[in-house]
Parts: sequence; C-alpha cells; structure tokens
Amino acid sequence: MDKQEKFIVPIGPQHPALKEPGHFEFTVDGEVVTSATARLGYVHRGIEKAVENRNWTQAMYMLERICGICSHVHATAYCLGVEKLAGVEAPPRAQAIRVLIAELERIHSHMLWWGVAAHEGGFDILFMYTWRDRETVMELLEMISGNRVHYSANLIGGVKFDIDQKQADAIRKGIDYLEERTRHYLEIITTDETFLGRTRNIGVMTSDQAKSLGAVGPTARASDVHRDVRIDHPYAGYDRFPVQIVTEKEGDLEARFIVRLKELFESYRLIREVLDNLPDSELTVKVPRKIPAGQVISRVEAPRGELFYYIESNGSDQPERIKVRTPTLPNWGTVLSTAVGLKLADMPMLLVGIDPCFSCNDRLVYVKDQNQSLTEKTWSWDDLRNHGIERYK
Amino acid sequence: MNNILPIVALIIFPGGLFLLTSGLAYEWVDRKLIARFQNRFGPRWFQPLADTVKLLAKEEIIPQGVNAFLFILLPVMGLAAALTAALYVPMAGLAPSFSFRGDLVVTLYLLSVLTLCLGLAGANSADRFSLIGATRTLTQVFSYEAPFMLAMLGPAIVTGSWQINEVNAYAQSNLWLIIAQPIGFLVALVGLMGKLELPPFDAPEAETEIVSGALTEYSGRGYALFRLGKNVELVIGLTLVAAFYLGGLASPLDFLWKTLALLLVLALLQTLFARLRIDQTVGLWWRIGALLALVQLLVLIVL
Amino acid sequence: MMKIGAMFSEVFRSLFNKPTTHTYPVEKIPAPDHYRGKLVYNPETCTGCMLCVKDCPAEALELITIDRKAKKFVMRYHTDRCIFCSQCVENCRFSCLQMSNDQWELAALNKEPFTIYYGKEEDVRFILEPAAAEEAEQPCPESA
Repeated sequence: MDKQEKFIVPIGPQHPALKEPGHFEFTVDGEVVTSATARLGYVHRGIEKAVENRNWTQAMYMLERICGICSHVHATAYCLGVEKLAGVEAPPRAQAIRVLIAELERIHSHMLWWGVAAHEGGFDILFMYTWRDRETVMELLEMISGNRVHYSANLIGGVKFDIDQKQADAIRKGIDYLEERTRHYLEIITTDETFLGRTRNIGVMTSDQAKSLGAVGPTARASDVHRDVRIDHPYAGYDRFPVQIVTEKEGDLEARFIVRLKELFESYRLIREVLDNLPDSELTVKVPRKIPAGQVISRVEAPRGELFYYIESNGSDQPERIKVRTPTLPNWGTVLSTAVGLKLADMPMLLVGIDPCFSCNDRLVYVKDQNQSLTEKTWSWDDLRNHGIERYK
Repeated sequence: MNNILPIVALIIFPGGLFLLTSGLAYEWVDRKLIARFQNRFGPRWFQPLADTVKLLAKEEIIPQGVNAFLFILLPVMGLAAALTAALYVPMAGLAPSFSFRGDLVVTLYLLSVLTLCLGLAGANSADRFSLIGATRTLTQVFSYEAPFMLAMLGPAIVTGSWQINEVNAYAQSNLWLIIAQPIGFLVALVGLMGKLELPPFDAPEAETEIVSGALTEYSGRGYALFRLGKNVELVIGLTLVAAFYLGGLASPLDFLWKTLALLLVLALLQTLFARLRIDQTVGLWWRIGALLALVQLLVLIVL
Repeated sequence: MMKIGAMFSEVFRSLFNKPTTHTYPVEKIPAPDHYRGKLVYNPETCTGCMLCVKDCPAEALELITIDRKAKKFVMRYHTDRCIFCSQCVENCRFSCLQMSNDQWELAALNKEPFTIYYGKEEDVRFILEPAAAEEAEQPCPESA
C-alpha cells in the first residue's frame, strides 16, 4: 500500500455526529489522526446584512434568531448596546429578570449539551435522562415567557413580562428538582468507568495553549484560564448578583464536563438569589425610535463563552452596522490543534466538547492577500453591499 | 425429532420461517426493554416486521466502484450461514434437527461467517466509513472469538463431548452450570455481546463516528438481509448460552423463559455502559477475557 | 472510586416506572396561561395607529382602513409569516391585540387557513366581497 496516500475521513456536512452542518477532514493513519482541517459556513443566512434594512425593534428579533439555545443572550447583548447608545438604562427589575432568564437559559443549554455529549460517546442512557430533566426547565421558561425556545423577553429599554409569586414558587420547585438530579449526574460521570475511559486525559489542552488559541467560555475555564465576562465586566444585573468563577485544572474532556456541571450549581444559587431579592421598579423605560449616532461594543457571557456585539448607528431608525462574534468561532482552533494524535473514535466527543453552535458562528470575513492589499479577487464590504443591491433589484 | 421431513425442518420449523419470526420477536423484546430502561415507550410489536417489509420494498442502490456480484451475494451468504447454524442447536427446546459429533465447532464457525461477511461487505464498499467499519469488525472478531470459544468449551469439557445435543442433555440432568462455572458464564455473556456487536461493544457500527460502519452503503434488500441475519444470530446465541449454562432446554416453555431472562440481562448491560473504543475493546478482551476463560478451564481440568 | 455500571439501580427501577413520554394526540396537555399562540385582534378599541404593523419583524400584519373617522379597520393576519414574538401586543396602547394560549395547533393542508381577516362582521364582508377582483381599499404600506 502506498505509504504517502492519505486516508481522509470526512465528518460532515451531513453526519450523525454533528447536529448542524460543518465539514471536518481528518487525515487518519489506521485509527490515529494525523491532521485536521475545518470548513464552516453552511448555515450562513445573511442576518447581519438583513438587519440593515429593518428598524431597531425588528432587528432585535432577527438577531435573537441567530441561535436557538442562546437566543436570549443575543437579544440581551443587543439591547444593552442600543440602550447605551440611546443613553438610557433599563430599570433594576428588568435587569434582574434578564439575569434570571439568562441563567435559566444557561441551565437549558448545558443540559442539552450534556445529553448530546453523552450520546456522542455512546452513553445513550445519560442522553435520555438529561433530556428528560431538561423538560423541567423548558416548562418553566414556557410558563414565564410563553415559548420553550426564543423567549422574546427583551425589549429595547426593559423586558416584556413580570414574574409573580406563583411563578416564582414554581421556579423554585423546579430548580430544587434539577439540583438534585445534577448532583446525581456529577457523581455518575466522575465514577462510571466506561465513561471515564472515553473522557479522561483525552484532548488535553494546557493553560498556555488555551490562552494563545484564544479559547473562551467553559472550554477555557476547564484549562484553568479565569475568563468570565460576568465577573470581569459585569453587565445587566450581574453587579447586584455576582457570580463566582468555576474552573478546573486538567483541561481534558472530563474537566469540560465538570466545569459545565459546576456552573449549573452556580446558576441554581443565582436564580434563588434573584427570586428572593427582585427589586421593585417598572419594567421598561422609554427609548426613542431614532437612536443617536455612535458606536458601541457590548459583551455578554453566553453559555458557550463570550459573545461580542459591535453596533453602529447613523442617527436614523435603522442600524448602520451590527457585527456579531460568537463564542464558538475562537474555540474551533482548540479542536483542530488538540485533535492530532488522538484516535478517530475520540473525534466526535472532541468536537462536541467545546459545545459548538454552528448556526451562531457562520460569519463572513474578507481576506487580504499577502501584500495586505485587496486584489481583484477579494471583495470589500462596499463591493458586497453593492452586489447585493444590484442583484436583487 | 428426526421424523420431521428434512425440508420442513429447513424451511419452516425450526429453521427458516420460525427462525426469522423469532428473530424479529426477539429484536422487538430487546428494543422494548432498552426503551423501558431509558424511561420511554418503545416500539409496538410489529415494528421490526414493518422495518423489514419497508426495507425489502426499497430500491437497492449499488454504489460505483464496488464488485456488484459480491455486493449482492454477501448479505445472502451471511443470512444463509446464520440460518444453517440453527439446525444444530436445540431451537425452541426441541432436539436439534441434525446433529453429529463436533457440531459445536461448526455452529460457532457458521456464526462467525456472518460477521466475516459483514467485514467483507464493508471492505468491498468504496467508502471510507465502510472501510474503517470493516477494519473494526474484523479486529473485534479476532479479539472476542477466542475467549468466547473457550467459554463454550467449558461445558463441553465436563460433558466429555463436542456435540451440542449431548451438552444440552448433560446440562439438564446436572447442577446448572452457571453456578458451577460462573466465570465461564460471565465470559460467555460478554462474548455474546461482542459477537452481536451490541453496545458497549458496538465500535464497528458506531453511529456517531462512522455513520453505520460496514453497512453504510447498504440499503433496501441487502440491509434487510443483514439485519435479519443479526437477529437470527441473536436468537441462536441466546439459545446456545442458555442451553449450556442455564440448565439446558428441555421444552419450548423452558426455552422461552430462559432465553428471555438472558435477554433481559443483555438489555440491562446494553444500557448501562458507554461505548468502548475499539482499542479498549481489544485490550479488554485479550487481557481480561482470555485470562478469565483460561482460568475457568484450568479449574475444570484440575478438578 | 471507580464503578462499573454506576447507573444500575436507577436504570433497573425505570423498568417499573411509567414512561415520561407524553402520548400527544391521545393526551393533550394545555399550554400555560402566558403561552404565545395565534394572534387575536379586537377591533373595538383600535384607532389605526399602525404601530403594530410598523414593528412586526416578519411583515405578518396588514391593517386595511375602511373608514378612518368611523374607526372601521380590518386586519389581515398572515399566520404563516408570524414568528409569535408578541412585539405587536407590546406596542398596542389600546389592548386590541393579544396572543391566545389555546390556539397553537396550526397545521393545515393548504395555504388558505393561514390568512385570517379580523374585524367586525360587516367590515370583513366588505373586504372579501370584491376579493375576486382583488381591488380592495388600499392596504396600508408596510414598514420599509
């Protein structure tokens, strides 16, 4: 057999391991991976361009639908940015409710990820049980907001709905049940031997590697990098209800599992605290339809890491430019560099270990060639806009 | 019963039709049990039959670059081997239709032919996933075959014969071998799971890594035949282990409850564990499995 | 501490528990009170301010003015475009709009049930009669 012949295993765009399309090519020698490349962009929908033709309120709903399980943090980041541009601040009760729903969403997202990661490792029983328990938090969210995903809780200037006493009690009961189950799962994944065989010492990423690759979120925190936007730059209600950071030292897959589980405990504590101390105030503040010109940056902590929004306004009632950088994008680098040397069977768990959200991360970048100039083959932003306008006239 | 016409024995009972039907029934029980363990409903009783009928009605796509003759032949051969193996085991609690000295080896060999056909089918398909699946299947065959055979050998040694018929009779008249040879039973049970590629040993067919392993390119008729072959293998494997270790099969009722009890244990083991990587499977078997089986044999020979 | 089969007791007990799947068509669980189902429009208090139409992200609402002074309006609601965000409910200052919590089974076999006309009886008939000629009053311009 020709030794130089490369055996490339494609995972994606359609593959049972991926929940959304993305293309990864692993060059394999027997069962050992020798190199990895990725190609993304299959779920690009052009949302950043589309919001330029909508007014500020409509844009919020479009941005909320970039992703299904981190929808609330997208809307929160956007609203915080626009409120800063308009020079208003949402009332304390609204901020507290934003925190409450963000934490409930974090619970929802982590439990979903939990099940998916167990399924990738062949541990279907954990998948079924965690998704059964996830129904509890989805019903809570449905009771408060009216929908199981895409809660549409935010308005520019506040939130839409309030939490009354009965709902607060139901939330407390649900959280108690979930906390007990989470404790049980933590015990299982740290002791079950077959599962540990799939996660312990797999995909180890040292702290320096994590810092140089720019990892964010629980992926970085599992390698002992203390990065959490809720603590570094508190936003919304997080200055009144502070969070404690959760980190692990090993940096392998097991550490990532444990970090996310322990973050759940933090979320439970935070939700109880918010429910006990909801400040009294109105729910919204009036915001003009035309937002004053300016540029603003808004950062929040999505369940996957740091979410970054750049919003620019030109004084009219439509946004000029909104740029979104989602947390999954920097985390891909960590997968591609830790994949070398592992077995092919570990690839799905490695891919899912960073909690990828493909819908979030399809963005457009334009590339300058080596002379740092734009050749005829590259388009600048204005070229792209003109092309879009001309073509669809 | 040697007064059944051989043709009837081959086609209807206890080979052929009866075997296929019981294969479907056991698959249903397996899926239902796993679903109940996972706290959900599970399929209704006709689901495996509906699956088979649907698959047989689908168009079969033969990919480019494969040897078409082999592609079509291999599922048929696998199923045929599995059906033939049933002729020597005490199916449904009745005596085997054909029985001769040394038929234990032949039966185990015929069961392996199915797995070899799977591996060949995977290697034949011009697809990366199938190739990796085929490699893993063949690796797994090498690793569990030896301990499984040694475990089956244990009861044969105490009987003093290699004929399944006689081992069955011996097991019926003496203490249940599960108590006398517990280690052997354990190795046989786990070996059975490896042979049937049930989780946690389903690395050759890992859905989340290599789509469907060796069977990725199969659809329609070929896939239906392979699935039927696997179901038949399940029934025969259960019958063998029950006949040897659970005190022999004396009557149809005996057959039913013993094999179902074994299936319950198998379903439980399937849900409890995460999937083992192929290198972990091989490591597990060659170190622990073979060792345990040898220990058991030593105990038997000495005592 | 290493355990093999750490979930054993729980898994075994599940065999005897009732499955947690909801058998949907047989057993319908009602939605909670604040559920965001299909939009319902009450023309009694509508003043025709068009705020709901302006801010709809999906352009699912159209308000047809029959007589502005007499406050006769008909709303054409496209259920298939609606994303159920309830921004229109927020915007309406006169509580004409609300999202129902019991109409959420909206599947249909063709497109017709998805365009709904809300309004007083005579107004809706007024709109639909010349429907063949498709020449009703000028529908209000949607937001740009």
